[in-house]
Amino acid sequence: MSFSENLLMALSSLKAHKMRSILTMLGIIIGVAAVIIVVAIGQGGEAMLKTQITGSGNTIEMFYQPSDEEMKANPNIFQQAPFKQEDIRALEQIPEIKRVVASSTKLSSARFQKDTVDVSTTGINQAYIQLNELKVEKGRNFSTSDFLGGRRTGIVSSKFQEEFFKGENAVGKVIMVANQPIEVIGVLEKPTGLLSFGSMEVYLPFQTWRNIYGSSDFTQVTLQAASAEQLQVAGKKAAKLLNNRHNTEKSYQVINMEEIAQGIGQVTKIMTLIIGSIAGISLFVGGIGVMNIMLVSVTERTREIGIRMALGATRGQVLTQFLIESVTLTLIGGILGIFLGWGTATVVSFFAGWPSLVSWQVVLGGVLFSMVIGVVFGLLPANKASKLDPIESLRYE
Amino acid sequence: MIRLESITRSFLLGKESVHVLNGISLSIQSGEFAAIMGPSGSGKSTLMNIIGCLDKPTEGEYYLGGENVSHYNDKELARVRNQSIGFVFQQFHLLPRLSALKNVELPMIYAGVSKKERQARAEEALMKVGLADRMNHLPNALSGGQKQRVAIARAIVNQPKLILADEPTGALDSKTSMDIMEQFRELNAEGVTIIVVTHESEVAEYANRTILVRDGMIQSPAVLDRGPSI
Ligand SMILES: Nc1ncnc2c1ncn2[C@@H]1O[C@H](COP(=O)(O)OP(=O)(O)O)[C@@H](O)[C@H]1O
Ligand SMILES: [Mg+2]
Repeated sequence: MSFSENLLMALSSLKAHKMRSILTMLGIIIGVAAVIIVVAIGQGGEAMLKTQITGSGNTIEMFYQPSDEEMKANPNIFQQAPFKQEDIRALEQIPEIKRVVASSTKLSSARFQKDTVDVSTTGINQAYIQLNELKVEKGRNFSTSDFLGGRRTGIVSSKFQEEFFKGENAVGKVIMVANQPIEVIGVLEKPTGLLSFGSMEVYLPFQTWRNIYGSSDFTQVTLQAASAEQLQVAGKKAAKLLNNRHNTEKSYQVINMEEIAQGIGQVTKIMTLIIGSIAGISLFVGGIGVMNIMLVSVTERTREIGIRMALGATRGQVLTQFLIESVTLTLIGGILGIFLGWGTATVVSFFAGWPSLVSWQVVLGGVLFSMVIGVVFGLLPANKASKLDPIESLRYE
Repeated sequence: MIRLESITRSFLLGKESVHVLNGISLSIQSGEFAAIMGPSGSGKSTLMNIIGCLDKPTEGEYYLGGENVSHYNDKELARVRNQSIGFVFQQFHLLPRLSALKNVELPMIYAGVSKKERQARAEEALMKVGLADRMNHLPNALSGGQKQRVAIARAIVNQPKLILADEPTGALDSKTSMDIMEQFRELNAEGVTIIVVTHESEVAEYANRTILVRDGMIQSPAVLDRGPSI
């Protein structure tokens, strides 16, 4: 007797008790849906956190953490910019690195006519623009000639325009930054997000910044790799290179992605464990429901079993019939649960602004797991059916 | 075809064992049409169940077609029921959710016959019992006589050498009963061995041999020969 034969038989006997079958599936549907939702939202969240840390452009920040000896030897070490211009050129030679985004920030003062205000002035290299870090709303962004010629042009934050020009258009105005005239060519977008109030900022081409402050060192360096996989390698190579150049052991560092991934993994693991056990319990209860209904079904169909045995069904064939019936029941429940979970995860992530990922592994897992439940909880009823005595079964009313 | 040697069958009721069959020895030749008669509770059905390999004797040997089946295991007995024996019951025992055709297909499913062949052979069997126009009806939509014809079609579809009918006309009126017995007579004429349990002498008259059972024993082992059937 073939599998498809058994499947058709199972489907028709489940169809004969539609309501009962659906109610029995409910536990499985909810259990599988819960698993899908948890995993989808968990994996989506993990993916989101990862992109937040690495940035969407596969970037990683370098930082300088001097050792105790270095700090003792040079108490002013924190006042100095840790990255030299030659460092940047050397970093650019590393094959895994696509761009080296470098900038230097100094607190300074800006004057327009009679008003003076404290601002943070940031000199940026051209890669900074290429990474799309500056979103210009009014006016224009820096051009290549601004960078190469060290032109006295600047871009100000929207907060700067608001406070310093009282909302008037700042583009075209000339302000004095550290007593040097700078023409405002652009105003940045207002930062979005609830917690960003914006700050008083002026951005300058690095050449210009250097001419004003007389320093060619960078305070911040961000590396961009061609791909996420290369990011870690690029970061390690960069840190090694800088430590070699500065004769330091491990003062130049990148954020260790593996550690962070592990940390995130730990959190999601705990979350998955908690909700997974809830889903497990609901699946277990669902399985008991399946077993209960299958036992009822076996009792109700005692006569059918007797007839089948009289016509030549072996005990094995009767066992298979009922086992396939319970697996079909849980499998349909599992598939419905996958769709329910998928839909719910999509809706939830839509409103929560949190991505959801339903991977094929999870779907496959859901299908296989619901089938396993069908086998495990169907075994007892199926075994009971196969052990029936044909004569007594035929007499059963 | 059938040889029973000192068959006993006893059941345990609590601590007491009830002896239902008390040493039955019996031979039935291939092609015979035998009627088993006897009072209610005398052990006719128990005997039929043993002959039909639905039950095993407590003691004694049972040879079917030359093979000793008294020590067969469950799986071997299932194969014998499927291949060598056709059952017809008083209560018809059709599966209510399957059409006449699907009911007739059942024994072939367990014989591993392909779907196409199954349908063809089931149709053929139903035509043979005169139900060509009722194939797709559910049992509930059929009369008692028609149900019993479906059961007969189901019994013959695997072409067994032996058909066992335990009071096949017990739930039918006398006119329908005679139609059903006519059906058995035709099958017997084709060489199928038939054993029928009955209370009614009109039914027993279709057989060419009557076996009387009383208190689990064969009362008169003498063959009441009525000459060849038909
Ligand atoms: N499984 C059983 N357990 C106990 N007693 C049984 C069992 N099956 C049959 N009997 C008894 O055996 C006797 C004969 O039963 P049965 O063969 O059905 O008689 P018949 O078919 O001739 O009416 C009855 O008294 C019945 O109660
Ligand atoms: Mg009886």
